[in-house]
Amino acid sequence: MSDWTRGRRRDANNSEVENRSCGPSRGSNCRKRGIDGSLRANREMDGSGGEKGEHADGSSKHSDKRQDGFTTPESTGPVSRCSRQADWGSQVDDDEMRSSVHRDMQRYRRRILGAEVTQRERKTSSGSSGSCDSKEEDHMETDEAVLLRRQKQINYGKNTLAYDRYIKEVPKHMRQSGVHPKTPNKFRKYSRRSWDQQIKLWKVKLHAWDPPTEGGQDNVLDNIEELGLGDVMDIELDFPNLPDSQNASTTHSISLDGEDCLGTPVKVQKTESTVEPEMA
Amino acid sequence: MENTADDYRIQSFDLDTQMLLKRALNDPSSVNLEKVSDIIVDQSLKDQVFSKEAGRICYTIVQAEAKQSNGIVFRRNVLNRLQQEFKKREETRGRSLQEWVCYVTFICNVFDYLKVNNMPMVALVHPVYDCLLRLAQADALMNEEEVDCLVVQLHRIGEQLEKVNGPRMDQLFFLLRDGFLLQKGLTSMARLLLLEVLEFRAGGWVLSGTAHKYYYSEIAD
Repeated sequence: MSDWTRGRRRDANNSEVENRSCGPSRGSNCRKRGIDGSLRANREMDGSGGEKGEHADGSSKHSDKRQDGFTTPESTGPVSRCSRQADWGSQVDDDEMRSSVHRDMQRYRRRILGAEVTQRERKTSSGSSGSCDSKEEDHMETDEAVLLRRQKQINYGKNTLAYDRYIKEVPKHMRQSGVHPKTPNKFRKYSRRSWDQQIKLWKVKLHAWDPPTEGGQDNVLDNIEELGLGDVMDIELDFPNLPDSQNASTTHSISLDGEDCLGTPVKVQKTESTVEPEMA
Repeated sequence: MENTADDYRIQSFDLDTQMLLKRALNDPSSVNLEKVSDIIVDQSLKDQVFSKEAGRICYTIVQAEAKQSNGIVFRRNVLNRLQQEFKKREETRGRSLQEWVCYVTFICNVFDYLKVNNMPMVALVHPVYDCLLRLAQADALMNEEEVDCLVVQLHRIGEQLEKVNGPRMDQLFFLLRDGFLLQKGLTSMARLLLLEVLEFRAGGWVLSGTAHKYYYSEIAD
């Protein structure tokens, strides 16, 4: 158990390789870039193929199965040294993600500074206090490797048609915590297990916005229930007001516009099955 | 949309290709961006005028792709093609000076236009320096074509390059000073170009008014 936090890096690789190996088929039809996914595969073949394989050595288990561009979250983490030798395209992609994460970190720092100020004001004026985690900055995750790995997981989830549909259909101010998917906060300190679970739940919730297929989504809801919204509430500390779970069913059903159930449930089941080995 | 063919000097392409490029600019997800990037790189390598402009069209397609689908396919392809060409640059130079000059122009132009979060692409810094240092070697200084290319690139991206890696710029300018001072057989045009770029950097990447007059007016005072 404690290995989870101790040997984070090694574990990271292993567990995610496992995840991935279940993954490729799941929802690959929902990938935004799926249109030219085949193209990417081709491009991979010629030229850069050799080096690519070389540098991805450590994680080669999945790299050959996976379309590139969906390379797994861990590859910039532990393998980042090696990626220096990667092709220029990937180097620049990595740099971009790294600098974006750093930029986000500055933004987040500014934001929590602002939040602390208002909280202090509230405290003095009303006397009521959320003493829980006032010193946000102490709890901030600053390990670049961790942040990059998390960012990749987030990007992976966002790079879906479901996510596009979701942000279009539900404007930001309409989103309710506990009801709508909320991107996990990568700057919070979480155990590896908790983080991965959050990502998983988030993705499951996003599946409710999968584009209509022959398959239906009614089961998604049940599955969410099964996976336990309790966990999410546990985790989403940034929401002072408790999410009301009875709303969940109503909001979700909006997007379900009467599809029968074939396609998505399968995906969700797969998600679940990836949860199991990690729990054990 | 506001992107028109003439903005990007794509008239030299055949009509089908022009259509493809237009679509790439306006609706990148509807085309094979890998093919588009190959077309642009290939054209840059043989068309000197286009190689000076190609960074801009790349920039626009990269922006459009990112906006439309958050994609990076095009940028990856361009960069990886650039890398392939980089590996065989010496061979290219031996085969065709013009193609080599086009290559350097293109990579510098891409370096100039494509930024990552407003910063130069680190991956290109050393390759660009390698190219410029190659142009500063004795044998290259003998070719006005290469000297001209070197000087033009330094005017455009010299300052940025120095910011990201000062020591290599120093190294480059040692070569340029030596070339200017010591190398036998340089044409006076080559010396003029070298002198100007030496002054240009010495002035903090700006040419003083009088220097500008000296180099660019028909009649100096």
